[in-house]
Amino acid sequence: MRRPKLLKLALENLVSKPATIQYPYEQTVIEKDFRGRHYADLSKCTGCSLCSIECPADTIKMRPIPPDYEVPKSNPRRLYPLINYGRCVFCYRCITVCPFNAYVSTNEHRLADTAKNDSSELSLSTLRKIVKEG
Amino acid sequence: MSSRLDFLSPFTLETQVVKPGRKVYVVKPEDLRNVFLKMIEVLGDSSFYVSTIIGTDLKDEGRIRLDYYVVVLPEEETVVFRTFIPRDNPTVDSLIDLIPGVLPGECETHDLLGVVFKGNPFLKRGFFVPSDVVEQGKYPLRKDSGV
Amino acid sequence: MSVSKIIEVPLALELPVGPQHPALHEPVLLKAYADGEEIVKVEINTGYNHRGIEKLCEKNSFYRDIFIVARVCGICNLVHADCYVRAIEQILGMEISNRAKYLRVLAMELERLHSHMLINAVMAENIGFENLFMNIMLDREKIMKAKEILTGNRVLSDYVMVGGVRRDIDDAKKEKIRDILLKTEERIKYYKKVFAEDSTILKRLVDVGKVSTRDAVIHSLVGPVARASGVKIDSRASDKYDAYSEIPFNVITRTEGDSWARMMVRWDEALESVKIALHVLDRLPSDANPVPDEKKLPRKIPAGEAYTRVEAQRGELTYYVMSDGKSPNPYRVKIRTPSFNNIISSGFMYVGYTIADLPVILTSLDPCISCMERVTVVDVKKNVSYKLPFKELAKGV
Repeated sequence: MRRPKLLKLALENLVSKPATIQYPYEQTVIEKDFRGRHYADLSKCTGCSLCSIECPADTIKMRPIPPDYEVPKSNPRRLYPLINYGRCVFCYRCITVCPFNAYVSTNEHRLADTAKNDSSELSLSTLRKIVKEG
Repeated sequence: MSSRLDFLSPFTLETQVVKPGRKVYVVKPEDLRNVFLKMIEVLGDSSFYVSTIIGTDLKDEGRIRLDYYVVVLPEEETVVFRTFIPRDNPTVDSLIDLIPGVLPGECETHDLLGVVFKGNPFLKRGFFVPSDVVEQGKYPLRKDSGV
Repeated sequence: MSVSKIIEVPLALELPVGPQHPALHEPVLLKAYADGEEIVKVEINTGYNHRGIEKLCEKNSFYRDIFIVARVCGICNLVHADCYVRAIEQILGMEISNRAKYLRVLAMELERLHSHMLINAVMAENIGFENLFMNIMLDREKIMKAKEILTGNRVLSDYVMVGGVRRDIDDAKKEKIRDILLKTEERIKYYKKVFAEDSTILKRLVDVGKVSTRDAVIHSLVGPVARASGVKIDSRASDKYDAYSEIPFNVITRTEGDSWARMMVRWDEALESVKIALHVLDRLPSDANPVPDEKKLPRKIPAGEAYTRVEAQRGELTYYVMSDGKSPNPYRVKIRTPSFNNIISSGFMYVGYTIADLPVILTSLDPCISCMERVTVVDVKKNVSYKLPFKELAKGV
């Protein structure tokens, strides 16, 4: 029987360090423009609902902004898009279709969590809360 | 290329074009089997293959349109044979003894649209669609099926 | 009373392979009937993955369908989206810029590379050669990184849009991708040598599942399965869609027709893909912006129909899109995937070989069951005369 072709490669691999990235101790290297978690910047959003109509996964719902936030005048109905990250497929159709370029994209990919995950905190953090006098 | 298929002109009712530039020969449903017999006789059976069978439900006109897309070797040009069959009695002859490659296409068109191919022993209703839809007797791709 | 007839019923063992099985990667049921070690008949039962995509496409608008159709299959998602988008562009009569065409070709060739490496690794795993499987997967990770640099995601790249692509590429990215491709080319040449000369692989793959040229044509087999039997069909060479009219490449065929030839055709095609990708990176034209403004795309598609073909990793993939001009949804979308023809008509290939050859033949066909998304029950006939009585009895299943 002839010597197997892979013998040299197998012996090299035996003495070198493992190829697996030991995940919690070292992070995987990902690109800056990886399609990660995205949310709406409410200082530019006007509540037109175009992202909600175009989403292929039907995951964006328009919700009213809670009363203690200061909303710019361009959003008369006080609506904002709420993204449910459990249903989202990260196709970024909402970002390319928005007529006011109101979406912020990041490359955050570590989204597995036991708590329910949606974009309300991130979106609302772009607005200022109304300071009540007295 | 189209001159090679001139022997089909006795069967052709009219010709149309599907983008991007594929010739369509419209034939009568009774003639379909003869068209393929003639193709095998003139061209030989290893010089073309049936690529797809597409059924479309034209509910407003009351008929179902069947398209057979055939690729002719060795130039690899696609031609289409189109027939129209009535919607309330959709039957047409099967080609399975001539060309075994039409088996997946015919089985699928039968299960999803209800077209009966006479002479095909493998047609079966139960497995294409989930069993709860089969029990209701529905054909999912028809426009009035409500699925 | 005398005996007038004696009926001999030979005993045959029914061996269900699947739907859950360690040799398969996706659910399909192959009911194999075996007499001793030799297989006499195979029934193929599919439908565990049917998702009703054609009906779903009729209920969503044309643009939402681009993303739905890309999710028919994980490995072939770029070719599905590209074929569908080209059908819409034919109906609209839209021309796209050369830079967009070249970028689409680059993305599709990267996908073809990683899919061929995957199926060869799976074949090595199925015959027990785990070391080779692990090494091929390690090199495949670099291609996924190249895809991430180009499109934004490793697997499901939503890269194609009506009018062009969704992201552009700059010089730094081009250098990184070129680096990865040159390193991978060396590794692919090495793996091809292993497949051609290693005695284990040769013993298990040569002369298993032989298909003649005439059988390949009349059963409508497509892709590397048909090319390994001498049928010279390739949609890239005949339809010349996107930028393939300007890029020189070879159509690889072999004449042996067995499982070994099918895997070698895939390695040769992988080397051709690397050459095409390097050619594209060298000569990328810069005539116009390849990214269309998605806010200005037409909302209503005029009435018409189009039929487009593309060379997917597994064969010829065809799309038929028909629009009636009145609603924003398509009237009919028909997808015919290559695995539909290859797997369902393949029952004749198993007869006469042993049970241990069954996973080898199935893997050499490159089954992508999610791509099939149709359901069929098939009985296959084969005229082996001395086994005929039992087959007639068993046919009613």
